[in-house]
Amino acid sequence: MLSRTAEYLYWISRYMERAETNARLLDVGYRMSLFPNPNGYNNEWESVLAAAGAIQGYKNKYNIIEQKKVEDYLFFDEDNPSSVFNCILNARSNALVVRTSFTPESWLAINKTYQEILKLKNNNFNASDLPNLTEWTIEQVNLFRGSLSSLLRNDGYNFLYLGLFVERADNSARLLDVKYFVLLPKPQYIGGNIDNMQWSILLRSLSSFNAFRWAYDGNVTSTKIADFLVLNSNCPRSLSFCIQNIVKHLTNLTCSPEKVNKIYNTLKDLNTKIQEEKIESIVDFGLHEFVTQFINKISSVDSDIQKEFFN
Amino acid sequence: MYQSESLIRNHYNNINEWLEKMTAKVINEKNAEAETHFRNIGITFSTNSETARERIIPFDLIPRIFTFSEWSKLEKGVIQRAKALNAFLADIYNQGEIIKANIIPKELIFKKKSYEVSMFGFTPPRSIYSPIVGIDLVRTNHNEYFVLEDNCRTPSGVSYMLENREIMMRMFPDLFHTNRVTPIDDYPTRLLQTLMSLAPIKCNTSEPVCVLLSPGPLNSAYYEHSFLSDQMGIEMVESTDLFVEGEFLYMKTVDGPKKVDVVYRRIDDDFLDPLCFNPNSVIGIPGIMDVYRTGGVNICSAPGAGIADDKAIYIFVPEMIKFYLGEQPILENVQTWSCDKDDDLNYVLDNLSDLVVKEVDGSGGYGMLIGPKSSKSSIEEFRRKLSANPRGYIAQPLLDLSFSPTLIKNQVEGRRVDLRPFCLMGENAQLSSGGLTRVAMNEGSFVVNSSQGGGVKDTWVLAE
Repeated sequence: MLSRTAEYLYWISRYMERAETNARLLDVGYRMSLFPNPNGYNNEWESVLAAAGAIQGYKNKYNIIEQKKVEDYLFFDEDNPSSVFNCILNARSNALVVRTSFTPESWLAINKTYQEILKLKNNNFNASDLPNLTEWTIEQVNLFRGSLSSLLRNDGYNFLYLGLFVERADNSARLLDVKYFVLLPKPQYIGGNIDNMQWSILLRSLSSFNAFRWAYDGNVTSTKIADFLVLNSNCPRSLSFCIQNIVKHLTNLTCSPEKVNKIYNTLKDLNTKIQEEKIESIVDFGLHEFVTQFINKISSVDSDIQKEFFN
Repeated sequence: MYQSESLIRNHYNNINEWLEKMTAKVINEKNAEAETHFRNIGITFSTNSETARERIIPFDLIPRIFTFSEWSKLEKGVIQRAKALNAFLADIYNQGEIIKANIIPKELIFKKKSYEVSMFGFTPPRSIYSPIVGIDLVRTNHNEYFVLEDNCRTPSGVSYMLENREIMMRMFPDLFHTNRVTPIDDYPTRLLQTLMSLAPIKCNTSEPVCVLLSPGPLNSAYYEHSFLSDQMGIEMVESTDLFVEGEFLYMKTVDGPKKVDVVYRRIDDDFLDPLCFNPNSVIGIPGIMDVYRTGGVNICSAPGAGIADDKAIYIFVPEMIKFYLGEQPILENVQTWSCDKDDDLNYVLDNLSDLVVKEVDGSGGYGMLIGPKSSKSSIEEFRRKLSANPRGYIAQPLLDLSFSPTLIKNQVEGRRVDLRPFCLMGENAQLSSGGLTRVAMNEGSFVVNSSQGGGVKDTWVLAE
């Protein structure tokens, strides 16, 4: 497989994953805007922007944070390199180059998404259309992921999934970083309105709202939620699940075993730790510190992959 | 389709019945379906226009049909021509017999930019310079075919030939039950076999590694590049993926370097090797020409193959056929005046309003004059250009191109068509059982180029 092909495949699934994350974040912000909030309505939009890693770019463009602008910035704005629109545009132009390493279905999934978002962008949309836009985005990304099931299980497949899980690990961790205070131990069960809102933001933006209820019995506690999102390897967006899958698709690569080993060695410790650790000791160590370390590690794995395989 | 005003040519009877049964509503639906399909698969092209990001070529639902016997003649004629063009290239890059025999004046060849001096004395595998030859043909009313031009570099359009058939089979399966249409879907396999049969001397495997070299996504034929490499199962590379080390060419893979034996290049000569050709090219592969000349890799088509499809050389192709093959040409040329001869030039200048004048190095239907369709002032403007640089032009009569039934706003109307079949030259010489039919969608228009409002049709060759 051409190095350039591997690189493009890796980025296609990163872009598609990022498109979904942004859409989910917007959905969370939208839900929150429907609830009364003693701190004012705009706080959630700020944390949505922070979780999307877009706060600086947004502030360069706008002075105030308000729903319509945030929606536009995160969804359609071509100035925001991570907007859903740009993610799909980039995924599509990469896919155009590597469509030979794809199935026709995967290409169709991305190209149709592109054709439709061009039309959506030309329609003036209302704030109330946001749930439709979010739903549409998630549907399109699912269509793309579904199409991958017919791919040959070769290195191209593994690079696609490496991209997906590196992006997801990064997105989940950033979201936890923005909201980690929600997960700090509290004297009593989570119950108040604010708390309720905060943890449901977290779970919803990680598409784990219903799943959490099924995974844990009894009362909702911040520790259980932290355990679910950090350590529970049944949760497809937990840090643990992401890192396990990075390791899996990395070690499944058949090309260049020495490069694979080199990267694997830098990941090994974190992987073991996250499988064996108890949530209590992570919280004792400092959840924020843990998540920060995690983000740095993923970012160095990302640059290792790019350096070793794509250059 | 029509023999005269009211008589339908026999082999179109089935199609005519089918058309009569289709309502306007169905036609609209099918047109929309085809357009959506082409957009979805991404069979688009970019034009010189700044406005549209990507355009699709208009697709006409009515196929163009050839009978078996009609096609057999074309097939022999095109293969004959492709053989002669390759023989010509082998000759002018070696002994130059055709020049010594005073058939083609040497300045017509050696002074051309498309004549590649660095190819002199080198003969590519099997003496094939142009493995894919696209011959543009037109039919006049008297059921005669003429060659409009030859394409020996990297003729494009074969993806349309294949995709037009796919969409027709998908939308109108019944048509294919009632008509015996020769399949064309083995073209990519045959193309790959052709490329593999042209492995360089130093290649010691029975399964040479072939790649398609594309200039990248901004090229107007990019869809075709990715389509063909996908269908053949070979890598589509850009020049940055390739590098020369020692005697061989390699591509950069995640496994490390992998040797490449045959490059099906879809980039121009100028951009192949900055060490040999254009030193400012950023998209070339430094050193590839050395590897090529020492038998480490084959480049298809060969650098310098373009001289054979030069419009000034075109005039001599019938002579080439006689000279190299000892045969009479099966397909005729369109009568052509070459403006670098004084007699011809005077005739052309006197008859500008009746003639079509083309630039020798032009393509895409740009920069030409269609005398009978032009205003007095544009004829005069062209006269000045022509007089200033007679060598740069040829002239031909305006051909009475055949019409093919075409759906225009749900009505069947006659529109002018041409045909480009694709001839493969490798271990075997073979012709695709079909080709690209281009149609001038505008009423009265003679220009079929997609860049100027041309459309395409599925092209059927009926089985015997």
